[in-house]
Amino acid sequence: MTIGPIELEIIRHRLEAINADAGETLVRVSGSQIASEASDFNTAIMTADGTVISCSKFILVQSTSLNLIVRDILDRYGENPGIGRGDQFLTNDPYLGTLHQPDVTLVAPIFHGDRLIAWAGSTVHEPDVGGPVSGGFNYAARSIFDEAIPIPPVKIVEAGSVRRDIERDYLARTRTPELNALDLLGQIAANRASERQVLELCAAYGTDGLVHAMDRLLASTEAAFRRRLIELPDGIWRENSFIQHEQRSGADYLPNQVYAVRLAMAKAGDKLSFDFTASDDQAPGAVNSTYPTLANFTMAAVLVHICQGLPWMPGAIWRTIDIHTRKASIVDAEWPAGVAMSTGTSAQAIRNCVSGCLARLLDGSAAHAHMAMASSQSSGAGGMSISGHRRDGTPFTTLFLDELSGGGGATVRADGSDTSGTATSPGATPSNLETNEAYYPVLYLTRRELADSGGPGMRRGGVGAMHAYRPHQTDRSIALLSMAQGLQHPATMGAAGGEPGLPSGFAIMSCDVPVAVSSGWAELADATDFRLPDAATRLYPDQILVTSSQGGGGFGDPLERDPAAVAMDVLDGLVSVGNALRDFGVVLRLDGDQVEIDRDASEAARKARLKVRLGGRDPRTIEGPVSGRRLSSHFRAVAVSGGEQVVCAVCGHGICDAGEDIYASLAVHEAVAGERSAITDRYPGSERFRIRHFYCPGCARQVDVQVALSGDPVLEAIELPFPRNPTETRP
Amino acid sequence: MQIVGIDTGGTFTDTVILTGDGRIGVGKALTTHGRLMEGVIASLAVASRSLGKSLREILEVTDILSHGTTVGLNALLTNAGAKVGLLVTSGFEATLPMARSNKVHGLPDEDSINALKWRKPDLLVPRRRIIGVRERIDVDGNIIVPLDEEQARQSIRQLVARGAEAIGIALMWSPVNGSHERRLAELVAEEAPGLHVTLSSELAPRIGEYERTATVAMNAYVAPLVGDYLTSLDEALRDEGFSGLFLIVTMGGGARRASSLHDAPIHLLQSGPVGGIMAARQIGARLGHADVLATDVGGTSFDVGLVVGGALPTASRPRIDRHSLAVPVIDLASIGTGGGSIAYADPELGVLRVGPQSAGSMPGPACYGRGGTQPTVTDAAVVLGHLDHLGGALILDRDAARSALAPLAGKLGLEIEEAAEGILRVANAQMADLVRRASVQRGHDPRNFVLYAYGGAAPQHVGRYAAEIGVKAIVIPRLAPEFSAWGAASSDMRTSYEIELPARPLQDFRDGEIDAFGRLEQRARGEFEGLAEASLAGAVEIRRKIGLKFSRQLHRIDIEVPSSRLGRAEIAAAEAAFRSRYEQIVGRGSAHAKSTIELAAVVVEARMPIVMPDSAPTGMRGALRPSRQRRAWFGGREQETPVFLWAELGVGVVISGPAFIESDQTTAVIYPGQTVTTDVDGNLTMTVPAVHKRSPSPSIGEFA
Repeated sequence: MTIGPIELEIIRHRLEAINADAGETLVRVSGSQIASEASDFNTAIMTADGTVISCSKFILVQSTSLNLIVRDILDRYGENPGIGRGDQFLTNDPYLGTLHQPDVTLVAPIFHGDRLIAWAGSTVHEPDVGGPVSGGFNYAARSIFDEAIPIPPVKIVEAGSVRRDIERDYLARTRTPELNALDLLGQIAANRASERQVLELCAAYGTDGLVHAMDRLLASTEAAFRRRLIELPDGIWRENSFIQHEQRSGADYLPNQVYAVRLAMAKAGDKLSFDFTASDDQAPGAVNSTYPTLANFTMAAVLVHICQGLPWMPGAIWRTIDIHTRKASIVDAEWPAGVAMSTGTSAQAIRNCVSGCLARLLDGSAAHAHMAMASSQSSGAGGMSISGHRRDGTPFTTLFLDELSGGGGATVRADGSDTSGTATSPGATPSNLETNEAYYPVLYLTRRELADSGGPGMRRGGVGAMHAYRPHQTDRSIALLSMAQGLQHPATMGAAGGEPGLPSGFAIMSCDVPVAVSSGWAELADATDFRLPDAATRLYPDQILVTSSQGGGGFGDPLERDPAAVAMDVLDGLVSVGNALRDFGVVLRLDGDQVEIDRDASEAARKARLKVRLGGRDPRTIEGPVSGRRLSSHFRAVAVSGGEQVVCAVCGHGICDAGEDIYASLAVHEAVAGERSAITDRYPGSERFRIRHFYCPGCARQVDVQVALSGDPVLEAIELPFPRNPTETRP
Repeated sequence: MQIVGIDTGGTFTDTVILTGDGRIGVGKALTTHGRLMEGVIASLAVASRSLGKSLREILEVTDILSHGTTVGLNALLTNAGAKVGLLVTSGFEATLPMARSNKVHGLPDEDSINALKWRKPDLLVPRRRIIGVRERIDVDGNIIVPLDEEQARQSIRQLVARGAEAIGIALMWSPVNGSHERRLAELVAEEAPGLHVTLSSELAPRIGEYERTATVAMNAYVAPLVGDYLTSLDEALRDEGFSGLFLIVTMGGGARRASSLHDAPIHLLQSGPVGGIMAARQIGARLGHADVLATDVGGTSFDVGLVVGGALPTASRPRIDRHSLAVPVIDLASIGTGGGSIAYADPELGVLRVGPQSAGSMPGPACYGRGGTQPTVTDAAVVLGHLDHLGGALILDRDAARSALAPLAGKLGLEIEEAAEGILRVANAQMADLVRRASVQRGHDPRNFVLYAYGGAAPQHVGRYAAEIGVKAIVIPRLAPEFSAWGAASSDMRTSYEIELPARPLQDFRDGEIDAFGRLEQRARGEFEGLAEASLAGAVEIRRKIGLKFSRQLHRIDIEVPSSRLGRAEIAAAEAAFRSRYEQIVGRGSAHAKSTIELAAVVVEARMPIVMPDSAPTGMRGALRPSRQRRAWFGGREQETPVFLWAELGVGVVISGPAFIESDQTTAVIYPGQTVTTDVDGNLTMTVPAVHKRSPSPSIGEFA
């Protein structure tokens, strides 16, 4: 059958429907809490060579590298054990294609007759897959041999029947065999449902027709993405992001280490390349990312941040992207480095770097600047594996995902979404607290939006959340393995001069601290010592655990935020009166239910703030829009005799000659990592970090904010090729 | 006994009158948005005239009037609800605004992959009107923090000062211990007498504080508006002589007395589509179809519901307009594809796409001649000659439809008719995908189902969307365009009360009294008070059920038990029934796990059957003679095609496609190769050529 624009659309729609069915089938059969309540799973359909053509949207990062797993199976198993109809392969090997060991992937080849035409696959986060530590996150791991040992692809279903020997081998490792068995059943059923429906498509359109249609869809999506890239300016953008790791025990004791992920993203014509080679060396254990994890998080950020309006077809996007790494680095670990905690640590830093660079790239295009989005929360402190015993003595282990409540990033048109979770796991949802209390011996004291946590900006980042609970109806302590990152410095960067969101918080307090009625960390800061969570962290029955997730990054200079919007935030309790002034330069009075903005005082406050930014000098008056070639929200290139000059987009101030480092010519203010936080500076290690604010030397507008290690050179976050002809196309 | 069913839909308000002597009157009027009651009365008047009677003459002898309405949904979609004040447990004020971080669930597919479109569900209660009261109850119902009444009173006064017109109360663990909620309600009555109050422990006693709170917020939000509507409509009907029983169709299935919904108006939010599914069940029972895929094509949406074994399954995670609900809702899948959906060439992929943007009813498709210029699904049907009038009065403009399609055809390099054919194929493929999803996702094989097609536009499309799915049979009911109204008229009175409890092993309940049954039964029976005496219907049937699930599992399955006291035998029987139902739903071999079975809910259902009047023979007459011929495109060529009048078809006739069967309100399109036959009630049963051979459907048993 010929495949025209009509058939192609019908097949596209159908593939999406088949994949959605697979996801629902998985949830229905598995019924487990992680899959069904938190949606921590994903499904995908691939072409014969493993190219992902359709993936669901719950946890995007789980599915974009399934091609690596399929490739491995095709390369190694063709002869022995063979790849046949009705087979399914299970793996949780992060060195081959999963994110970390708890993510268990099942892929199934789909044959029409003897011809391999497609693959179906799914991944589910399991509560436990074995190894020395319940839940799988071992802070003290010196290598992967101190974690759950990955299972390379094994043929767990052969010609339609489950291999009992392999199934037993898989379930023998885990502390939660019943739950894993149900998820396994769900994944098998989901793959079978996809297989059956794909074969129906074959019957309707012919095998050649379907294969041809899938190729066409990939080719046209790739072409559309390349057109989008061509519409965007060329250049190099940079972003750094940091993680910490505290390895508390073992021979290789390494206290409170910092690892930097450093990205230089280059866009030229219709190519996008990501160079991570400047990132730090790998850690001994736990927090490293493998190449598949790097690829997954990079791809997921690309899909979310520059594929708006395009199909999410990772296989098509792969073809336009290069990733450069250095083996044995924190983003491309070398066996046998430990990797089980990658998703909450280095992988979040990877995503932050990619989304930061993409925001800078988009902000350089007049036609696409509205798509530029500041960073959303990375892993907050409330994400943890907890284990212990109930009063009746039965043991429990589970994941609490309260951290999925951080703020979203702002864009030029909209504030970030409050308590909306991370951008690359759009479907993930934290459980109801009643669900947690029903199954585990804890009592929550609060789940609240955390005022002042959203990154200030012309548009505000979404606020994060605070959670607190204590042991309940148990006499024993609870072991906590928190994935907390971003305690010592902000981790969710703003865009176009917006501020980063508030760092995470993690603290254990005595149970007489009135946590439930406090308005935030400021009132709790003196109630306890602030210690980084480590392998030995426990919560005793007379204690409260308090955690907070990060706010999202803001967009644009916070002094340009509409005072009325600040007033609304104050009424909603998302910004405090005091911080309306501190963060936005808005003076207002909250009188009962009314907020009154003092316009004159606000204007004076903002003027004074601008003056401080320039070291006491009066800012240049703003002359109205400056014409010239757009480089970003804040910079234009204008022709001058002998070349081009970079000028401020609002005041016209000449910053530097085109081709020079813009950042070398900006006014800079370096602040401590906890400048907006009551607790960040209390964590040991925070003194190593700085927040750098960059201002136009003419009008004092804030044009960028970066987090850096103290003493590091200033990052040239925007490097544009000069001179050149404008290539940007306007619609 | 005379029964009237009225359904207010997005475009039309339909009325069906079933007279005591078996005649059927039908009426249709435009829905009057903002003044829904006018459309209801107008539609009733038209239906009365169709029987040669006045409105008063009909109402005076009507015993039951059953109504499906969008009044609540409209309030929600137009942000016209009340200013709600919400009282929650102190420390958990953010439960509703946080919405469990949901930024994508419930969004249309194309928005779910566009980060710029991600957003929370609309916040029905602003944060200023959510106040925490000091109290806390734990999972076992123990009071950890007693209710601070003084602070509670202050909070209530504060809400009133902030403009609250209705109060919602949703405290932690209220399903287990509702005493604090009840006491708060008393305080509200003292501090703010007259305000509508919703208690989560009474309205939605399910575990999971977000969904319960959202349900309370929505109930309070629509309550004043819905209450006013029900009161005024009731008065208007009584002014016109009605003295019978006034029922409202609920989204949980069945109809309840309007008077009982003032407190719980949430149950009528989606009553229209549910009317259709109930009608499908009713007709299914008559035709011997226990498993039905009920499909409804309207102007802006396509809905699919299921009848399984004669029952209507409820949704496991119901949402309306993205708001999560913790009350039983008949499972319904929906997409924004209908007659008004706009077709366009995707600039990125070069494919032909349809919807979800819709021309709506104003200006409507180009062929309506009301100024629409964008090509819609209905325009495509008009270009192909499949449709030339709508609703008797509206003659469709084929030239306008062609003009609307021409630019799109040019972009795709197709002739106009090819583009029209393409639009219908794409739209119908979307519908077919939804039908598959509605069945496959829920673990059913569509081949075991009979598909029913109703709603104004379904008879026109069903020959395409049902053909490739491979269902057992396709039925277009005689009252397809008024099906939801007929469903309202044919519905039993039904109510159910439930309470969820923290799951505990079922064995723990052996030989003890489950006292929740008594309370729930009392409330359920209360709704039927006074009816038996009025001899309107039969006795009230009570069913007791326990909600069972495997430990740590999602699926709750309600199993009927003989009494509120369970002995060894009853527990064994319930466990066996649960395992067998579980395997039906999840798959053979899946219940082999030695997991503990836990009791998680107690449910009481009460039903009072309403006996419908026997319908008289249809009176269809005449031979098989087309009333006229129309030129229409099928299979790439234009041909003279016979048009039959539905009302003139005899019983048992066979018509082969291509052909059209028309009534005032709808046109059934019979494609080449398809045939229809008529039955004694005037329903059309369509047979389609066998589709491609399918691979056998595996069951879990094969590999478990």
